[in-house]
Amino acid sequence: MNQPCPLPRPRVGAHLLTLFCCCLFARAALAADGPTAVVEKLHGTLLTMMKDAATLGREGRVQTVAPVLERTFDFQTIGRVVTGRHWKGFAADTRERFVTTFAGLSAATYADNFDGYAGEIFTTLSEEVKKNAALVKTQIVKSDGKAVSLNYVLNQRDGKWRIVNVIADGVSDLALKRSEYGAVIAKEGIDALIAKLNAKIASYAAART
Amino acid sequence: MRGLLALGCIALLSGCASSNATRDPSDPWEGVNRPFYNFNDAIDRNFFTPIAKGYVKVTPQPVRSGVTKFFDNVSYLNVIANDLLQGKLGDFASDTGRFVVNSTVGVGGLFDPATGLGMPAHDEDLGQTIGKWGAGEGRYMVLPLMGPNSLRDLPNIGSAMALNPLTYLNPVVTIPLGAINAINARANLLEASNIRDQAALDPYTFVREAYRQQREFKIYDGNPPTDDIDDYIDQDEAESAADDAAVLKVY
Repeated sequence: MNQPCPLPRPRVGAHLLTLFCCCLFARAALAADGPTAVVEKLHGTLLTMMKDAATLGREGRVQTVAPVLERTFDFQTIGRVVTGRHWKGFAADTRERFVTTFAGLSAATYADNFDGYAGEIFTTLSEEVKKNAALVKTQIVKSDGKAVSLNYVLNQRDGKWRIVNVIADGVSDLALKRSEYGAVIAKEGIDALIAKLNAKIASYAAART
Repeated sequence: MRGLLALGCIALLSGCASSNATRDPSDPWEGVNRPFYNFNDAIDRNFFTPIAKGYVKVTPQPVRSGVTKFFDNVSYLNVIANDLLQGKLGDFASDTGRFVVNSTVGVGGLFDPATGLGMPAHDEDLGQTIGKWGAGEGRYMVLPLMGPNSLRDLPNIGSAMALNPLTYLNPVVTIPLGAINAINARANLLEASNIRDQAALDPYTFVREAYRQQREFKIYDGNPPTDDIDDYIDQDEAESAADDAAVLKVY
């Protein structure tokens, strides 16, 4: 990205044009991270959060991770997939309410689970891109050498790569939630589901400070 | 005692038989599974979890690690046999070496020198073998006291038992060892059950889906095919059963 551009000597106009193109490319590269970069951005934030867990406190951890999740996760697509066939019937404001609540729950969950540091290391293993989908395989290695596999499915929308699914040790978060949420929506409706998710967020907040 | 237990089960079963919860077509035995799940959960919360927590408190980590390694090693013949059944000859050789080294140099399996010698642990069982041979999951089931299982994984209970040397020892030895194994195994799952308790809206469904996916993942030795990672993303609206299937296969 920072390599000097081969500039044709004689014409100043072409010179400037090339320079301009280089700037464009550099900007594009900055604006849209590739799948691995997106995952590593999330991991970087998680690591900071783990290391500063005590000083940040629970609320501080939520504040740290929430904006990063907004940038690294495609909550719109997640909301659609996780509610399955029910999504189609939701009004726009219901969809928005659900997606906002879901994002809040994600932040609360991350803040709760990454609440201390014991020498864990995040390692990226591979990246596989297929059209607008990508699979990034990573693992967390604990200080005792045990590794937990953490695979991310990403989706490219509007030129941006963002995470749509996390698969921890073979368990797909999206599929798990889809089963649970589908059952709740079918039985009690979407408003009951949103209420339950809000109750979860509240219980996280109450459990630890 | 056993009679009482059975009575308890039946009471739980009949108690829930009239429930009209929406049934998941992929889990036709839910009506029986759910009461068993609740039964196991009650025993777990009131009995095993407190004991496991106490055990963690009184035993230092290296001791628990040794106990885990001992029971992993003593059940390793099942892994070796299934390497062979799946035609994984390289793993078969390495796992046989692992078992010999850890049983001897590793003091009956309490230590794991084999990993350092290039013979890492593998995770195989008869359910994975049957899956590898192409069989589907079969019906999901929750067994009393033993927890999640499926028709495909059921035969492994037999093979694991038959290939575990402890099975053939005097009950005076095997019963206390079995108890230690159960407590230690439960202690190793404390973190997982915490996550379940925090995250699950319906713990029964949560455990079922987690079990299914993890089994699938293990059949592929952690590398499931990725041909369809993009299947669901291209669709604007989720609508069909095909879309459902695609998402549940996403890894």
